[in-house]
Amino acid sequence: MALFTIDEVRKTFTNGEVKEEILKGINLSLREGEITALVGASGSGKSTLLTIAAGLQPASDGQVIFEGENMAAMGSEQVRKIRASKFGFVFQFAHLVPFLTVEEQLMLMLDVSESKLKKHEQKKEVDKILRLVGMGHRKNAYPSSLSGGEKQRVAIARAIIHKPKVLFADEPTASLDSKRSKDVMSLIRDLTKTLNITTLMVTHDEEMLGFADHIIKMSDGQVLQGVGIIVEN
Amino acid sequence: MNIAWKEIKKNKVRFLILGSIVFLVSLLTFIISGLANGLSQDNAALIKDLPSGQFFMNEDADETYNLSRIDSSIQDKILNNQKDAVALSIQMGFLNDETGKQRSVAFVTSTDSKLFNHVKDGEIVLDRSLEDEGIKIGDTLTNNQYSGNFVVKGFVDQKKYSHAPVAYISMEDYREIYRVEEMQLVFVPGEDSSLEIAGLQSFTKIDFLNTIPSYSAEQMSLNMIVWFLVIISGMLFAIFFYMMNVQKMGLYGILKAIGVKTSTLFKMMWTQMVFITVIALALSVTFSQVFNMIAPKGMPFSLTPETTIQLSVVFLIIGFIGATLSGVQIRKVEPLQAIQQGEV
Repeated sequence: MALFTIDEVRKTFTNGEVKEEILKGINLSLREGEITALVGASGSGKSTLLTIAAGLQPASDGQVIFEGENMAAMGSEQVRKIRASKFGFVFQFAHLVPFLTVEEQLMLMLDVSESKLKKHEQKKEVDKILRLVGMGHRKNAYPSSLSGGEKQRVAIARAIIHKPKVLFADEPTASLDSKRSKDVMSLIRDLTKTLNITTLMVTHDEEMLGFADHIIKMSDGQVLQGVGIIVEN
Repeated sequence: MNIAWKEIKKNKVRFLILGSIVFLVSLLTFIISGLANGLSQDNAALIKDLPSGQFFMNEDADETYNLSRIDSSIQDKILNNQKDAVALSIQMGFLNDETGKQRSVAFVTSTDSKLFNHVKDGEIVLDRSLEDEGIKIGDTLTNNQYSGNFVVKGFVDQKKYSHAPVAYISMEDYREIYRVEEMQLVFVPGEDSSLEIAGLQSFTKIDFLNTIPSYSAEQMSLNMIVWFLVIISGMLFAIFFYMMNVQKMGLYGILKAIGVKTSTLFKMMWTQMVFITVIALALSVTFSQVFNMIAPKGMPFSLTPETTIQLSVVFLIIGFIGATLSGVQIRKVEPLQAIQQGEV
């Protein structure tokens, strides 16, 4: 059974009297331990789909089923709890908290996810994850002293420190150069496999598609090549 | 994790600026409040230091005690029926010392009472400020309307009326100077303010103080300044936190996206507000109390711990309201918008 199912999701924006349908009945299933890449031209609706799936905005119609429950029918507090404890986010920019050190960024995420770990266990976990993303040596550094690639590594560490079930990555390599992009994608792929995370990623960069297990092409608010067809990589 | 404290630690200068402004505004407020209190004491310590009670003056006096003449039969009835009641008169006048130097004083006389100094004919008891000006016990003072001399029998602390030192004289001497038989006022001490007497108008202590023209005008102006400063400090908090919040909108959006509760963000802001305000107030309270101690003797300045605590609590409440109002933006911020806006 799929961990995450998107069923007939539609999104309509109203601008004055003009109604624009951004998503036109999307069906999609995500499986554990796999990376699914959403690709398509600007305006195809891929980012909108990702943010709806992540509970960052509601769908106009349809269901987003996570662990057997329809998120579209949940209240905002329930959705927030899911975001905090079961989802991880990596965005185009790292969006780190400027006044927290690398270690504190991760400790904050453990706090937010209401981790049951004791303080010393949390610190151990932070050390482990930072080593995993190759940032163990910079745990006391503030974001202002990190390079773009390092920031993104910390953002990835923050996204997985609480062992989320689903990782949402919206253009995670868009602000990085080619080499760093590959490093970051390798990292996401390794973590997805090692930690058995389900990853949904939006990307423009065709080079990054090599890291995905499945590629879903979108155009004009619809999935191309039939409903929910997954292109095996 | 205390992210509020982490932010203060990382952005010391920013918070130091806000703290300094709060410190300066609160110090100014304390000083002006001290001056208002001091002037109020200087203007009416004689009345303010009396216990709670009711003042009575003639209904025809049109709320001007100078014009009040209480009929002696009514006065006797009140004094006989009301425990600790006292009849008194106050008039501004002049005293000349042995060198001929004229000094403005408030002559006060009363019936027998623990609340007012009782002096014999030809004797006078003065406010201590006149001792500071060189008058000594045993000195003889004169008044143009008085046939004899007043012998200084003693001094009392902090007894002023209409910014003039009080001079207690006997009822006989008062009658001679002002050519009146009746007393102006009757004071009945006690918490109960329901006593009504036919032909007399009743005033609480505060109401009576406000019938002194200079008192109400002076206090109103100074209190207005104090409250304006309190409001300004509230606005400062609102503006400062508004500006900080505007700068942090992206950050708040991202924090919300990863699951941070809106209430946690509010708590962060309140913690910072309380931290800054408490430190700034502790400093300004210390400075104002030091000023209270070293203020020049002639300066009417009185800042009691009660006033300081009251104002400090008001500052905290106003700061809280100001910060909370600015925090409305935090509620409005959409995670999605922040993500789309780019790096914070």
